[in-house]
Parts: sequence; C-alpha cells; structure tokens
Amino acid sequence: MTATLPPDQADAAATETGRIPRPLRPRLARLAVFLVIAVGFIWGVSGLDVSWDRLRTAPSEAWAILKLMWPPDFATVIERGAIGKVLESVYIAWIGTVIAATLSLPLAFLASNNISPTVVRLPIRQLFNVIRAVPELIVAVVLLGVVPLGAWAGALAIGLHSIGTLGKLSSEEIESAAHGPVEAVEACGGTFISRVRWGVLPQVLPQIASYWLFRFEINVRASAVLGMIGAGGIGSELIAQLRFRNFPEVGAVLIITVAAVVFIDTVSSAIRKRIIAGGSGDPSRLMALVGDLAGSGRSARA
Amino acid sequence: MTDATASGTGERPAKPRPKPLTFLVTIGLVVWTVFTAREVGFRWSTFVTVWTNPLWEKFWPIPWEWVLDRDNVIDPLIETFQIAIVATVIGCGLALPAAFAMSRLTAPNSPTYWVSRIVMSIVRAVPDLFWAKLLVTAIGIGAFAGAWALSIFSFAVMVKLFSETVDGADPGPLEAARAAGSRHVPAVRTGVLPTVLPSYVAYALYVFELNIRASIVLGLVGAGGIGRIVEAQRTFFNFDRILGILVIVFVVVFVIEQISVALRRRLV
Repeated sequence: MTATLPPDQADAAATETGRIPRPLRPRLARLAVFLVIAVGFIWGVSGLDVSWDRLRTAPSEAWAILKLMWPPDFATVIERGAIGKVLESVYIAWIGTVIAATLSLPLAFLASNNISPTVVRLPIRQLFNVIRAVPELIVAVVLLGVVPLGAWAGALAIGLHSIGTLGKLSSEEIESAAHGPVEAVEACGGTFISRVRWGVLPQVLPQIASYWLFRFEINVRASAVLGMIGAGGIGSELIAQLRFRNFPEVGAVLIITVAAVVFIDTVSSAIRKRIIAGGSGDPSRLMALVGDLAGSGRSARA
Repeated sequence: MTDATASGTGERPAKPRPKPLTFLVTIGLVVWTVFTAREVGFRWSTFVTVWTNPLWEKFWPIPWEWVLDRDNVIDPLIETFQIAIVATVIGCGLALPAAFAMSRLTAPNSPTYWVSRIVMSIVRAVPDLFWAKLLVTAIGIGAFAGAWALSIFSFAVMVKLFSETVDGADPGPLEAARAAGSRHVPAVRTGVLPTVLPSYVAYALYVFELNIRASIVLGLVGAGGIGRIVEAQRTFFNFDRILGILVIVFVVVFVIEQISVALRRRLV
C-alpha cells in the first residue's frame, strides 16, 4: 500500500472485477412491502372523496384560517376566563392520573407472572387490554350519559382509560424485577404482603412513578380535547370561539394551550429524568433539578 | 461484618429517617392533589349514585342487527381505516427526511436543527383533535379533513421518535462516508439510514396503531370515520348502539394491535 488509487482508476478496477450482484430475496421482500403500502395508500385515498381540486385548494384554505388567527386576541379570551379553563384541564388530568395510578398499582401486581397465579393474572391482563382499546373520548361519551356534565366526568374518563396503559406498563416493570430481594424477604419469614412491599416495590417504584408522570403529560392533552365534548377545560373555549368564527380568539386559545402543554412537558420530563437517575444524596441535587428545568442539563441525557 | 456482630447483640440499626426534601415533596403533592380534587368536583358519592342512574337500562341489550348492518357501522369503520392508513403513509413518509434534519448527528446545519425542533414541538403540543377541529373549520366536514389532521399529527410524533433514534445511531459509518468525500445527503443515505431503518419501520407501525385509535374519535368533531356514528347516536342517547360499536371497534383494534406488536417484535 504505497498510494491510494485516483478515483477514476479505482472505478475502473471495480468495473473490471464486476460488482457483486445484490441478493435477490431481500429485494423481492422490499418490493412486496412497497407494493402493500402503495396499494393500501391508494385504497385509503379512494375512500376520502379527494378530488384534485380539493387537494389544490385545501392548503391555501388552511393557510387563510391561520392568517385570520393573527394577531391573537388575548384580552377577550382571558376576560372570559381562559386561564382558569387551562388550569381546569390540568386539574382534570392530574386527578385522572391519580385515580389511574391508585387503581392500577395493585392491579399491576395481580397481573404479573412473578407475583400472582395464572387464574388471576389472565383476566386482569385482558381487562387492561379492553380498557386500552377504548379511547378516553369514547369513555367520556358513555360517562357523560350517566354522570353530570363537567370536569369530574372528564377526570373519571381519563382515570378509567389510563388504568389500561399504566397497568400494562407497571406489570411489565414488576415482571422484570430481580428475584433476589424477594427471596431475601422470604428467607426472613416475610408474608406475601411484605414480600411485595419490601422485595418488589422499592425496585420498581421509580420507573412506575415516571410512567405516572408520563401519563400525566399525555392526559393534559387528552383533557384539553375532552372539553370539546363538554367535559370541562380549555377545549370548550376552543369550540365556543370556533362556533362564532372568532379567529383571533381561537389563535389566543391555541397559544395558551400550547404554552401550558409545553411547560408541563418540560417540567415533567425533567422530573422523570431525576427519578430514573436516582438521587445520589448530595446537596447539589436540588440545584441539578433546577438546572434540568432550565434546560442546561441536556448533556445528562446521554 | 461489623453489622453482623451488631445484630448479634440484639441492637437493631436505626431506621433511616425521611429526608426533609422527601417530606416537603410528599406534603406538597398531597396538598396539590386535595386542591385539584376540589376544583374538579371530586365526589365519592358518584361511585354509588352512578349505578342508580336509570340511563344504564339504555345500554342493554345490544341491537346486533343494527350494529352489523353494513351502512351503520362497517362502512364508517372502513373509512376510519382509510384515514389511518393515508395519514400514516403521508406522516411517516415526510417524517423520514425531517427527522434527519432534526437530529444533531445528521442536521445539515444548526439553524435547520433549531428551527425544525421548535416548529415540531409546537405542532406536537396541539392535541390531535384540536388539529382535526381546526381543519374541519378550514376545509370542510369529512374524512378529508380528518386525514389531513392525522397526517400532521403523526408526522410530528414520528419525527420526534425517529430523530431520537438517529441521535443514538453509530456515527462511525457517517464519518467514514464523509472522509471518503461524500456529500451530505448520500452520506446520510448510506451511512445512517441502513442502521436506523428497522426502528423506523417499528415506529411507523406504532404510529399506525396510534392513528387507528385517533381516527376512531375524529368523527366526534366532524372529521369522518366511525366517530361520526358515535356522535350521532349519542345525541339520541342510543347507548346500546354505542356499546355495540365499541365491541366491534375493540375486536378490530385488538387484532390490529396484536399483528403490529408481533411485527415490531421481529424487527427490533
């Protein structure tokens, strides 16, 4: 190896030896996947009554609405209590998450293969699946029939729906817990309850608590949406303003919602990061949390 | 070993006390929860009174002949799938280049990185049904607006998930391609794309699941699909029909999810 070949000679060498033909089977598989996606896409578009005309005009119509929203009219919506409604959405999400966390934790233990027998486990698993498959809006539609309209119905709907995901994630966490501590408690003569309380719970609680927080972030969005069908919160304000085509007010509602969601996401993900990393017990911990909140702890993620 | 002798003498080690910070946080959380519970009107009595509501009688029996009628449920459900498929293909297709622009590893330059990051977090912060409602207002009621809304939302979610994978990709092949004199796009195409493609497909399947769930409720704001029927029946308190729709939706969503999970497990 005295010198590298100039590019054109290297190319010539490659063509002389002949390129290695690509293997056939992966290529056929790739072609099949593309065909399936293309056929599915065309079938899908065929059902959406899309005309070339609509495709062409839709972006400009959407853009026109967006322009109408600027400048946003904060004064009117704040006077109508938009801030209180955003807060109400946050409260609904919090209470929903608390309900779901309280109910899902014991259920998750009953759904884990290292804790409970198959007879108990399988029905609870299926229960989680059933709950997860029903969107919270549909839960809310049903609940609004039997519970008075308002924030409490929304919180119940969110709480019921979140049991499914939280239960599933928590039980997966419990199943992956190390068996050693459980055996240790058993060797000391611990009962079933103390095996769960001292053997398993301390191992899994940080991760499960971070799932709770994550769910809370999702639920803030969900509760904003629930307002649209009459379950309290900022969604009702959006609907009210859209009904009268008050676009500057709509813009303001959107900006307030986005600000609240982004704020909660940022705070909550910083806290989650601290929970998972664990406290080292040194006094700079609080400062590190503050640093995370301010966004300066970005390197800590890697 | 000193511990062993200590416990031998019957002296138990002192139980560690909770730290002041833990104490404060716990009290704070309890106070906050009680406060929010009051604000939303939490009532224990609901759990009792809800069962005595006469409306429960409207939930049963499920009118199967109505539910299984093609026009009532099956056709709107097909429309739901069409919305979800179109939205997934458009959203995930556009997300592929966008995610590369938004990852620190593959962003062509730092303004692109920051602008795309900020725009994406704003798009994601608007809930999916808000998008649907806005687009229904802008371009009219129907599945077309729904497909638009879900495309935007799944684009934003996909970009977020996938750009994080690209962040974690091995920079070696990319550096090799650059060292060999490749321009930016071919370097990304040959250096990074092959290593992240399996997780791209897995995320796309996941986004498809999300879209199926979301497209079920789109109709509640007038954006097409099965939710349109739910909304129509809800105004007449036909809860038995809604329950029937729910059973069908559950079965279909469950089957799709099982297939998707099996596929994803093979990929990653």
